[in-house]
Amino acid sequence: MTRKVLLAALCVASLAPVGSAFAEAAPGTAPAASEARKVPRLSISPSKLSFDGPGSQTVTIKNTGTATLKVFEIRLLNEGRPDTKQKDGTPTNLPFKWDGSAPMAQDLEPGKTLTAKVKFDPAPSQKQGVGAVQVICNDANLRAMPESTNDATHESSAYGAGIPLRAGEGGMQGWLLVLMVFLPMAGALLIVLIPSKAGKNVFRFVALGTAAVTMGLAVYLFMHFDRTVGVANGNYGLQFVKQFVWIRAFNVEFFMGVDGLSVTMVILTALVSLIAVGASWNIDKQVKGYFVMFLLLETGMMGTFVAMDYFMFYIFWELMLLPMYFLIGIWGGPRKEYATIKFFLYTLAGSVLLLLAIIALYYTSGKPGVLRGVPSLALSDGTPAAHTFNIMKLTYLNNFEAASSILWGIKFSHLIWIGIFIGFAIKVPMFPFHTWLPDAHVEAPTAISVILAGVLLKMGTYGMFRMNFAILPEATHWARTALAVFGVINILYGAFCAMAQTDLKKLVAYSSISHMGYCLLGMAALTEQGMVGSLMQMFNHGTITSMLFILVGVIYDRTHTRGVNEFGGVASVMPRYAALFGFAFMASLGLPGLSGFIAEFLVFVGAFNVYKLLTILAVTGVIFTAAYHLWALQRIHLGKFNPKWEHELKNNDLNFREMAMLVPLAVIVLILGFYPMPALDMMTTGMKDLAAFVESAAPAAKGAAVIAGM
Amino acid sequence: MNGWKDSLGNFDPNALMYQLPFLLIVGFGLLVLVLEAFSKGSSKRWLMWVAVVGIAAGFIGAYLAWKKLGVMVPGDAQVVLDIARGAAPPSTDIPYRELFDGMLIFDRFGVFMNIVFLVGALLTVLLVADYMKEHGFEFGEVFALILFATAGMMLLAAANDLITVFLGLETMSLAVYVLTGSWRRSPKSAEAAMKYFLMGAFATGLLLYGIALIYGVTGATNLHTIATEAPKVGSNPLFLIGVFLVIVAFGFKIAAVPFHMWAPDAYEGAPTPVTAFMAAGVKAAAFAGLLRFFGHALGNERLVWGPAGWGSLMWLLAIVTMTLGNLSALRQDNIKRMLAYSSIAHAGYLLIGVVAAGFGAKTAQPAVLFYLLAYTFTTIGAFGVVAWLGNRGDERLLVDDWAGLGSRHPAAAMAMTIFMLSLAGMPPTAGFFGKFYIFRAAMEAHQQLAGQTGMMMALVVIAVVNSLISVYYYLRIVMAMYFREPARETSPLRSPAVALALIGSALFVLQMGLLPSRYLDMATQSLIGR
Repeated sequence: MTRKVLLAALCVASLAPVGSAFAEAAPGTAPAASEARKVPRLSISPSKLSFDGPGSQTVTIKNTGTATLKVFEIRLLNEGRPDTKQKDGTPTNLPFKWDGSAPMAQDLEPGKTLTAKVKFDPAPSQKQGVGAVQVICNDANLRAMPESTNDATHESSAYGAGIPLRAGEGGMQGWLLVLMVFLPMAGALLIVLIPSKAGKNVFRFVALGTAAVTMGLAVYLFMHFDRTVGVANGNYGLQFVKQFVWIRAFNVEFFMGVDGLSVTMVILTALVSLIAVGASWNIDKQVKGYFVMFLLLETGMMGTFVAMDYFMFYIFWELMLLPMYFLIGIWGGPRKEYATIKFFLYTLAGSVLLLLAIIALYYTSGKPGVLRGVPSLALSDGTPAAHTFNIMKLTYLNNFEAASSILWGIKFSHLIWIGIFIGFAIKVPMFPFHTWLPDAHVEAPTAISVILAGVLLKMGTYGMFRMNFAILPEATHWARTALAVFGVINILYGAFCAMAQTDLKKLVAYSSISHMGYCLLGMAALTEQGMVGSLMQMFNHGTITSMLFILVGVIYDRTHTRGVNEFGGVASVMPRYAALFGFAFMASLGLPGLSGFIAEFLVFVGAFNVYKLLTILAVTGVIFTAAYHLWALQRIHLGKFNPKWEHELKNNDLNFREMAMLVPLAVIVLILGFYPMPALDMMTTGMKDLAAFVESAAPAAKGAAVIAGM
Repeated sequence: MNGWKDSLGNFDPNALMYQLPFLLIVGFGLLVLVLEAFSKGSSKRWLMWVAVVGIAAGFIGAYLAWKKLGVMVPGDAQVVLDIARGAAPPSTDIPYRELFDGMLIFDRFGVFMNIVFLVGALLTVLLVADYMKEHGFEFGEVFALILFATAGMMLLAAANDLITVFLGLETMSLAVYVLTGSWRRSPKSAEAAMKYFLMGAFATGLLLYGIALIYGVTGATNLHTIATEAPKVGSNPLFLIGVFLVIVAFGFKIAAVPFHMWAPDAYEGAPTPVTAFMAAGVKAAAFAGLLRFFGHALGNERLVWGPAGWGSLMWLLAIVTMTLGNLSALRQDNIKRMLAYSSIAHAGYLLIGVVAAGFGAKTAQPAVLFYLLAYTFTTIGAFGVVAWLGNRGDERLLVDDWAGLGSRHPAAAMAMTIFMLSLAGMPPTAGFFGKFYIFRAAMEAHQQLAGQTGMMMALVVIAVVNSLISVYYYLRIVMAMYFREPARETSPLRSPAVALALIGSALFVLQMGLLPSRYLDMATQSLIGR
């Protein structure tokens, strides 16, 4: 035993230089092109129209940037209220009118101007008027705006603001994400409509087809995702955007888009879902209902990762919870009732915390002192809004720390941060909120375990990046050490628990907890390397752990037991199984050359500069990880074959279906292990900006130095 | 505006338009009574259709009144949206009309509440006919009583004077007392009616004491006059006691803890459709009164907060009500009792909205209205499934009786699941948006108090914890239906009317959860006039 541990440690150490090559390559992956990229910039003068009596003023709209400014619409605002009824720009209810012809929405080349005259023609009783010209265009250079322009009059309106790129910029591409999200739901509807007597295989193939088409779209997304686009290029760095107003009375928008962070998760979701359909093939009870739930689950997961409106995010987040509940509850093992209610209550506890935080953020957004720069919380159709659910606007336009009051002795923004964090930490699951996970895994059918570990856990870390980091960066700095400590606890605690398990599935479940700890540690580093490493770990854990659960399922299907100690010498009768088992376990323990190593290494490199002691502790986790993996591998596959399983296992190696699930995952793990660039490129696209943004909220350097000494 | 004397001297028949729903319902109630008395044959089922026609006419009346009240400001729905976004409403612009010397007020708030009551009445009427037939007690008067109770609720929602508040409350309550005891052969029903009546009479007494004290101090029973007088006499102990007594009286009606002890017994004993009617309609009417009196007339910050303000009291009431309601529901095995406690808990959530309205949170009133509409569909739907499942002599009220319903009766199980999720506040159902709006309103109130106190925040946190607790017992039913094997045979009611009510409410619950905009806009426009 000790010898094997040493061996594993040696393996890791000897191959470290290879890893460091990657680590150095990583920061350079995003080309410097984004610096030189041309940016449109809107200027409107005067930004605010004030009249003391009837008269007219000239307004100049100018492109002071270096790229073409696309103007979609020009409107007159009366104290923040646009005239939405008139298309020709001659509103009847407003005292402002275009003097002469209304300016045409058009493309403005750099340096070009557009002028128009505005006439104030009030009712006799009205003496003064305040209004503005609103231009909806593709200028989104919002972070460059000065913070000093906050003033109370800006609160409810969008005076002369450049409202960032609207939906439809991506043309047909804008529909891609919508399709990816709702295609599974359409598949579910189709299954509902097919009569039950059609036969089980019909439902299976419909589900397989739906998942496969979704995967095809994900491949398209992977190929066409522009890896050079960043926040500086407008649209908050999002691509494939679709945006329109959903619940108007409530400022809720239908807003989908992907950046490097989302796109990674979307691809992972499509991949794991497709594989999981394969793993669901031997479900025999209520097949129709099963696949309906399964596809609804895929819609929920997909939607969560592409929703850029906080409210919409929450709806998808909850939407995913219900099918999961039924999938474990109906098709689960003997203790399913306990496991499902525990899973449900834990997750829901997190959700309601999220909900509270959402409402709190909503009401704090757009307040004087919170808003950065020129306010433009308007909805995508130009309607001004006092508050917003738009995640991007919450991130870049609102500075919640600036006007945070103290509640119950703690800064309000920190309170919100904790609320959101616990909500997501339950999902990760982070110690001490992790106890639902092993129970849920043990009772869930194989395919659902695959989804649960492969995708659902990532929602927690995804949410932390998207909400905690992006929306409340200052609070993130405040809490980073705690995050790192919890990450290390997860790594070590998960590993120790895994070591003590005799149920193979529980072992894998605890290994998930341990591996998600690396994500937490990586993100706590707040460096680009650490954060990219964390995202990479999310993706890799998704692929590797899917393999592990499928492998557990394979042997459970045959023998109806998962006891680690009940086997022995399986390798001698199932060589293909043993090979893939070994491969997956090696990938999981972080063997260099396989994808798991890259991510862990990036995490360590990113975290070491900040948290030396904690990183060292975390690295020791690698040894324990190797220990329990090798231990399990040895007890199942090596030694003498247990004749008890003669009938079940002999001449019963992996069949075609099982190979078809495992081999593609193995290929991905292998490719990313040797050549992670395509994936790293994609991830860095979003993480670079996020890391820089979080960095910009760092407290004084003195404080950072104290933390660094840890 | 238009006083009684104006109306007398220069009677404007148009004024009756505002009362159309009320008049129609009363008229049809009387018609049902007459038809019942002169009809032959033992089956009174056909009277159901008379009542349905009456309620449909009520809906049309409500529509006409809604239209007649007009929009808020000339041609400006935008103002409505601005209010929803947090702008101050131009309060003088809310259209309303006072009748009978200010005894009644007609505004869109009242019309919206009328719609809620009509929905409740319609679903109850559809459920009750075949339920009575199955369980062997058929009275045509039941339909008339439902209509009269609805009329009482409408009166309460339009009351602009403490006297009319009292009148409405009593008209409603008397009809519901009789409905509760209408299953004469069932001792439980008689017990329920007795308890409900005694407690109700007690509450009525307290209400009258309260009104008398308030009148003594302010010299008025008119809500508007009280609103202007109250800040001047706000600290007068007699006034405070009066307000306290009114809260207690309403507390009985909405079954707020600690005035709730009658509710589980009354709910359990009453015929199930009547229970549904009590849980939805009666509660909604009482909340209409609460919003008018507390949320609006006494919505002055000095009166709301502080050790003697009604807000502190109701804040406490809300916490105790939802927490105890939910904790008690956890322990019930009888579904009717479980739903009774759940209905108590929901009264707690709704009280949050009233407190928030007291602080002038602009979204609070619409939030409560939306919640009440959503809750009416959901809770009557849930009780409807309970009524549907039972047979004569075997009501199948235990959770274990529901095992395996998912495979036996997938449609009914699906409907029940939707109702349970809605009660639990999960998307994509109406209940989610209802809770969301309520919490949002409370957070708005918190923002308005920013820095002064975290009590509204605390209230929301407690509410959130509570809704989490509630999920456990709602899901118990779902688990029994889907995760367990069927235990024994079921032969539920075969009734198109019941099926219509259940499917209809399930669809509405879903629609309000998926496309809530329309309903929210409507609720947002339904502000209290004056």
